[in-house]
Amino acid sequence: MLTFLALASVVLLGIVPEQSQAIVIYTGWERHALVGSDIRLSCSFFSWRWTSEDVTFSWTYRPDGSRDSISIFHYTGGAAYVDNKGPFRDRLEFVGNPSRRDGSILIKNLEFSDNGTFTCDAKNPPDIVGRPSSVRLLVFEKVPIQAGVITGAIIGVVLGLLVLIVVIYYLMRFLVARRVFSLSVSKHGKKKKEGSQQRQGPVPPADPSKIKV
Amino acid sequence: MKRGGRTLDRRHLVGFQKATMLMLAGIVVLHITTIILLLVATIDNAWWVTDTVSTDLWGRWEMKGSVWHYTNLKDYPEDYLQTVQATSVLACIFAILALFVFVAQLFTLPKGQRFTFTGILQLIACLCVMIAASIYTAELHSTDEQGGYGHSYVLAWISFVFTFLLAITYLVLRKKSE
Repeated sequence: MLTFLALASVVLLGIVPEQSQAIVIYTGWERHALVGSDIRLSCSFFSWRWTSEDVTFSWTYRPDGSRDSISIFHYTGGAAYVDNKGPFRDRLEFVGNPSRRDGSILIKNLEFSDNGTFTCDAKNPPDIVGRPSSVRLLVFEKVPIQAGVITGAIIGVVLGLLVLIVVIYYLMRFLVARRVFSLSVSKHGKKKKEGSQQRQGPVPPADPSKIKV
Repeated sequence: MKRGGRTLDRRHLVGFQKATMLMLAGIVVLHITTIILLLVATIDNAWWVTDTVSTDLWGRWEMKGSVWHYTNLKDYPEDYLQTVQATSVLACIFAILALFVFVAQLFTLPKGQRFTFTGILQLIACLCVMIAASIYTAELHSTDEQGGYGHSYVLAWISFVFTFLLAITYLVLRKKSE
């Protein structure tokens, strides 16, 4: 049964039409980092084929405002080649796992001149048709607050507190009505106060406790 | 004293006198107006207006040539701006909540009791609008020479006054006891 399934999947993979066999490369869209810190640029791909031994990854860099890109990293034939004369010499490290389709690189000690676009291109022979994917790196002196984070936080906290207070209020009333708690107020006064608080939800079934003695 | 379930509402609404109904209608109309003012103040784009720029809490209209362009806000202290955004949205939310709670309390509140929950919600809405408008006044556009405050800003302060009056009304008003 298992061999039949394995054979069937191999056959199916073989007869999948050529057009759908494009390699799809994934990187981030934009990365923000502080100057002086390290950043990991991730790159992975999806391919209908098994990961071949000749899989290659290459990264190119295009500074902001420039039209030329230079190649800074290449992995092929099982060996990784990092930039040793360009802007990233001694700062680039390969931290990916090609057999897991991960071609990520680590850039250490960021500078302001590292602002730019990094493009990852991966090839998984015979699946070589695909579009390289780019990630934009933004280096800041101080990481800016993203739009809406504080807004959302304030709204969320306040509404959460409101819900919590209402729930606790009704819980206390319910528990007192059930005589789980006994507050040291005179029976008459407590019951009168209890009975005349505003009611909005379903009244707890322990109504007999509200009958004045 | 246990009453027969929740049939209080029908009998009591019928028992209201005309003046009370009128006052009730007035309060509800005022509350709805306040909600509309708050929504306009938060959404409409006219907190700070100059000849060529019209800006509010979310974006900015700039006139380049003779065409208006919508752009992001710039040169605003990010944390203060987001606090103003959050508090004005919260003011709208609390005002709308207060309206629903008021209508619910009309039917469920025992006689002679005050609409405290509604009043508290409305008070929080008032507080939020005050915080929003104050921070806006103090921190943003405090150094600009030209331009003035637009109608959304004015509406924000007006709704502050209205929410305050309504909150006091709800906290003082008692449900009519026959």
